[in-house]
Amino acid sequence: MGADSGLGTGPGPAVPWRKVLWERQPFPDNYVDHRFLEELRRNEGLRQYRYWAVVREAGLVAQQISCVALFLTLWLYMEQGLLSPSTLLWSGLLCALLGYGFYQALGPQGDSDSQQRTRWSDLQSASIFLSFTFGFSPVLRTLTESVSTDTVYAMTALMLLAHLVSFPYAQPSPPGSLSLNAALFASVCLASRLPGDHRASRGLNSSSPSSLHTFTMLCWALLVFALWPCLRQRLRECAPQGFGCVCLLMGLSGVGGLGSIWPGGAVLLAAVLGAVTLLCPLLLIRLQSDKDNIHGPWDEAEIREDLARFLR
Amino acid sequence: MVLKIFFPQCCNKADSGLLVGHWLPGQDSAVVLAVIHYPFIPGQVKQYIHQVGCVGVGWKNEEAGGEGKTKEEKTGEEGDKVIFVHYEQRKVMLSQLHPTDPPVPLTQSTSELRQVFGTVSQSESLFFLDKYDDSPVKLTHWQSEGREGSIIVELMKQASTPVCLLTAWILVVCSLSVSVSRILNVFPLRFISSKLCSCVQLSYRTEHLQTVSSPTRATSHTDYMRKANIFMSFLLDVTLGLLLIYWLYRENRVGQLANALLPAADRVAKELEELLQWLMGAPAGLKMNRALDQVLGRFFLYHIHLWISYIHLMSPFIEMILWYVGLSACLGLTFALSLLSDIIALLTFHIYCFYVYGARLYCLKVYGLTSLWRLFRGRKWNVLRQRVDSCSYDMDQLFIGTLLFTILLFLLPTTALYYLVFTLLRMVVVMVQGVLQLTVDFINSFPLFALGLRVFRSYTLAEGVKFSVLCEEPGTPLHLMMDINPLKFSSVVQTYRTATYSCYPKDSWLALCKKLFLGELIYPWRHKTTKID
Repeated sequence: MGADSGLGTGPGPAVPWRKVLWERQPFPDNYVDHRFLEELRRNEGLRQYRYWAVVREAGLVAQQISCVALFLTLWLYMEQGLLSPSTLLWSGLLCALLGYGFYQALGPQGDSDSQQRTRWSDLQSASIFLSFTFGFSPVLRTLTESVSTDTVYAMTALMLLAHLVSFPYAQPSPPGSLSLNAALFASVCLASRLPGDHRASRGLNSSSPSSLHTFTMLCWALLVFALWPCLRQRLRECAPQGFGCVCLLMGLSGVGGLGSIWPGGAVLLAAVLGAVTLLCPLLLIRLQSDKDNIHGPWDEAEIREDLARFLR
Repeated sequence: MVLKIFFPQCCNKADSGLLVGHWLPGQDSAVVLAVIHYPFIPGQVKQYIHQVGCVGVGWKNEEAGGEGKTKEEKTGEEGDKVIFVHYEQRKVMLSQLHPTDPPVPLTQSTSELRQVFGTVSQSESLFFLDKYDDSPVKLTHWQSEGREGSIIVELMKQASTPVCLLTAWILVVCSLSVSVSRILNVFPLRFISSKLCSCVQLSYRTEHLQTVSSPTRATSHTDYMRKANIFMSFLLDVTLGLLLIYWLYRENRVGQLANALLPAADRVAKELEELLQWLMGAPAGLKMNRALDQVLGRFFLYHIHLWISYIHLMSPFIEMILWYVGLSACLGLTFALSLLSDIIALLTFHIYCFYVYGARLYCLKVYGLTSLWRLFRGRKWNVLRQRVDSCSYDMDQLFIGTLLFTILLFLLPTTALYYLVFTLLRMVVVMVQGVLQLTVDFINSFPLFALGLRVFRSYTLAEGVKFSVLCEEPGTPLHLMMDINPLKFSSVVQTYRTATYSCYPKDSWLALCKKLFLGELIYPWRHKTTKID
């Protein structure tokens, strides 16, 4: 055919090359000229992170980790018999009331009508929770009786990890299904492994906990995993400075609580928190400079127009 | 062009005369049916031929023994190659070419062989006159030495009509009485009678008898064979039933059976109790949830206790019931077998109940688990779109859903084990009943008459023909001998099987496994409703 790639070196034909394929041109089909890759764009829309902003956001993850640690601390206390379930139950209820008060105080001031209604529906929800949990406690108590302890611990660890991974950090106010369910499943598993109340379970196997233990555990699980994120979100929206203090407080109490029972765990937790909060943002920003995305006319088209004008 | 002439063997040694036969258009063949001898009056012969609808051709025979070397003088076709195919007229007349599906009027499109067979069998009126009749035309054909007949067959034919009428009348009376009683309580009786094998078998046999005893003659070969098969199987059935009765009542075996029945039922119940105790412990080392285990085990144990009390209550009457039930075998062995199957079903009713309880519980659990698993992941089944969609649940729904999911998940092994055990038991009972049903079905549908025909008169059921060369010399036409190929035994059974309410597995293995896994109730054998073909 005669057309070859050495055409650029010889005398160029009179017709300039156009980037069209529907016309017969004296160039081969795969010919490109000096304007090749002109439209290539690198790293378009790259965000420039700032360190302290990222640290602030990473603090949310650290907060959640310390929540989990706090929960585990409570369980450890109950398991070793340092806290009686009734104490924990009453303190839990008190915390719930306090938290509810804060929630309402910080909340947007609507008309009293809708507030009344929300209070009523809140009361309904609370009574449903309590009655169901109390009703199911005896069943939940002996649920994992026949499963070996190692399996139970492994399942718990898996579920808590799933909870941390799937937690909606950006918008925690309605808690995500999977995260909440995983956390509750883990708490049920743990609750069935509490040592029994020796007065109540004299005739039975001593390793089965009493219903009150289970009930307490579940109430606290609900508080920590379902209700606390809502309060946190409200705090963040309305009083950002208070939010920072609360974050710090959570982290310290998590480490401290774990340290009182298990010092090694406390050290581990502190390390993890430090890594998540301080180290990972540093890594992110360092690695940002290595980013190399290319964009060009080969990307998928995005429709940016407002198509509502066609609806009229 | 090759001209084929089908020549009956019986006419080989006949005197010279006029060939009478049919010309098959489109096949270049002629079928010779008979010979009309000299002397005859052409006018009468023409009238006679026209009456029977044939074509006449002139022919001369060299009167010699052996094969008649004839010269064909058919006009218009001189110089063509001619093939003589000799056939034995009696056999071809009586045989039926299979498959018998194509329509009786012979059209151009049916095969040549079928046309030949059809021509011969339709010319029955030609073969009525034999040499002892006093008529102006003298014929030679397969019946010319004397018409075939036997006294027994004639007597039976005469007697059959009143017997048929009587049977039909009795059947009408019986069915009327049954339908009257059915009007009284419609729903329970019909439901029960559709579930009991013996009632089904009775109705089936009644239908058969109605078919057999209809006074109209069978029009086609298929109808005739069907009637004959039904009659023969009915006879066989009753004979076997009478044999069974003889065996049962000879040495008071009924009494022995009744005495053995009660301890057998007791033993079954005891075995079940032991099984349940084993399940309530730690079966095969599996860890069960103790509370649920105890509940289920005690529930089933109470059932067994009830059942045993019931059997003990019935024990004085068992011998009498068995005696009368044994007498009913005179209606046929199939009826006795279906009664046996019903008795087994009644005796193992508690196993059936257990199976239903276990299956329902398991099914509910599996259903709940799948639905809650979707809730766990934050999804929901969209009924409108028939797919799984994401859904944002309320807090209470999430909470309660998770609790229930945990409970169901941990209770799954216990329920699954009970379900497995009772399903296996039920499967055993169903297998036994299935075997009985298969036997009944086999006796019902076996074509005894057709097989008998095939063994004793194999030419009546023809699958095809085979040719052997009689004489092949250059200069003379080719002579072939046509013999009938009888139908294979397997084809006989397959073609003439009476259509029954055969029980066959309803689902394939895969569908069955899926149903077992999901806990749906399975009824593995399905009854086809009787179809008249």
